[in-house]
Amino acid sequence: MTAPATTDSEYDEIPAAPDEGGRAPASRYGVLALAIMLVVGLLLGYAGGLLTPRLTRPGDASVEAGFARDMTTHHAQAVEMSLVAYRSATLPEVRQIAVDIATGQQGEIGAMQTWLREWGLSPTGSNPPMSWMSDGATVKDGLMPGMATPQQMTALRNAQGIEVDRQFLTLMYAHHLGGIHMIDAALGATDNAEVVRVAQTMKNTQQTELNNLRQLQAQAKG
Amino acid sequence: MSISTPGGPERRPTVVSTGKKPAAGRPAPGAKAGSGKPTGSPRAGGKGPRKPVTPVKVSQGRAWGPIALFVAVGVLAAGIIGYGAWASFQGSKPWDKRANAIEGIVNIRKTDKASLEYESHKSGPLTYKYSPPVGGVHNAAWQNCMGDVYDAPIASEHAVHSLEHGAVWITYRPDLPKDQVDKLASKVRGVEKTLMSPYEGLDKPISLQAWGYQLKVDNADDSRIDEFIKDLRVNASVEGPTALCNTGITATGTTPRELQQQQQPTQ
Repeated sequence: MTAPATTDSEYDEIPAAPDEGGRAPASRYGVLALAIMLVVGLLLGYAGGLLTPRLTRPGDASVEAGFARDMTTHHAQAVEMSLVAYRSATLPEVRQIAVDIATGQQGEIGAMQTWLREWGLSPTGSNPPMSWMSDGATVKDGLMPGMATPQQMTALRNAQGIEVDRQFLTLMYAHHLGGIHMIDAALGATDNAEVVRVAQTMKNTQQTELNNLRQLQAQAKG
Repeated sequence: MSISTPGGPERRPTVVSTGKKPAAGRPAPGAKAGSGKPTGSPRAGGKGPRKPVTPVKVSQGRAWGPIALFVAVGVLAAGIIGYGAWASFQGSKPWDKRANAIEGIVNIRKTDKASLEYESHKSGPLTYKYSPPVGGVHNAAWQNCMGDVYDAPIASEHAVHSLEHGAVWITYRPDLPKDQVDKLASKVRGVEKTLMSPYEGLDKPISLQAWGYQLKVDNADDSRIDEFIKDLRVNASVEGPTALCNTGITATGTTPRELQQQQQPTQ
């Protein structure tokens, strides 16, 4: 649109040349228009650049935000039970996998909390937990799928000897199953590359750990 | 451009005419333009060859087209930028702004910042200015705050440490009716960075604490309880969102406990 505008006025100036008054304003308008248009274009581009991430990033009620918040809660309990096992379990292999799960999931909590911060969202949501999951997985007594009850946690803390190992392995196995269920729900509902990448890594890790936990269960039985 | 010019047919002749030599086809389009805008022709109309000057007036008229367009686009751009600024202001309204908007909340971070400051962890029983306390010096051990619902009073020396880690501590008068206690417990159970316990000597039935914040309410149905938890849980953490709530003291009793010597597991 600019090009015709300027050329038009330039051509128009040729006949205007004899008339001294006519030329200057016309060319000034052309330059001015071009300048304004450049500035406006730059501002528009800048505004678009500013707004695009804001408009495309996950919102407060999104699956991504729900996943980040609820998986933080879910992970937090896995860290708790793993640290109990790291401190009190009998089998060195159990203590080893426990500290691996504890530090690994605590790290993932940090990543998910960083997402929320980057998305300009609060770590706490206004929607009830699990409401982002379309399959209607329920929260029972405030607990998400696979989470141990307060009684089970107390029993784990009070357990002695190999009983710590056994209880931990049982609780963590159920915990991972519930966790994978939630991860699958998120993977099925988001196309956010970063969320998909981290969720997929979580799933792979937990699936491998399920095998290892099962193997250790056999070991702890004997 | 087409908006500014009166009509398509009139615009075309001016473009065509300007491409040609000035003298040639002037009279006709000049007359047309002149008839359209009478103000132009009187000034130009002196000599014969001057007539072609009239297109200048046309071009002046046409210059308003782009200008109007640019103004429109400029207004649009300003609108988009303005909306962006407004949205970012509204959207990222910080948690402390939202917390301070809760009716009746006491912001000790603002009113009495000094009471929250401390040198280092201190063991044994400590005295607190506020009841229940909302911050300040505390024991090395924290109270487990993984959504723990304690049925007996706990040591403030541990609970304050939990507040430092971003927990919201719900306290209630021991005589609070059971249904209200259950209602409060349902907000806590399964939610990390929360804990709840009865508290002797409360001046209101229920009191909520986060590091540097306190809200006292009469009823478990008060909607400000959910607001308080939403705005301050994790957010009020002095040590960020990953500070631990697990591996804390899980026992009740108002006498603070010393951390136990690590027992080596028997192989």
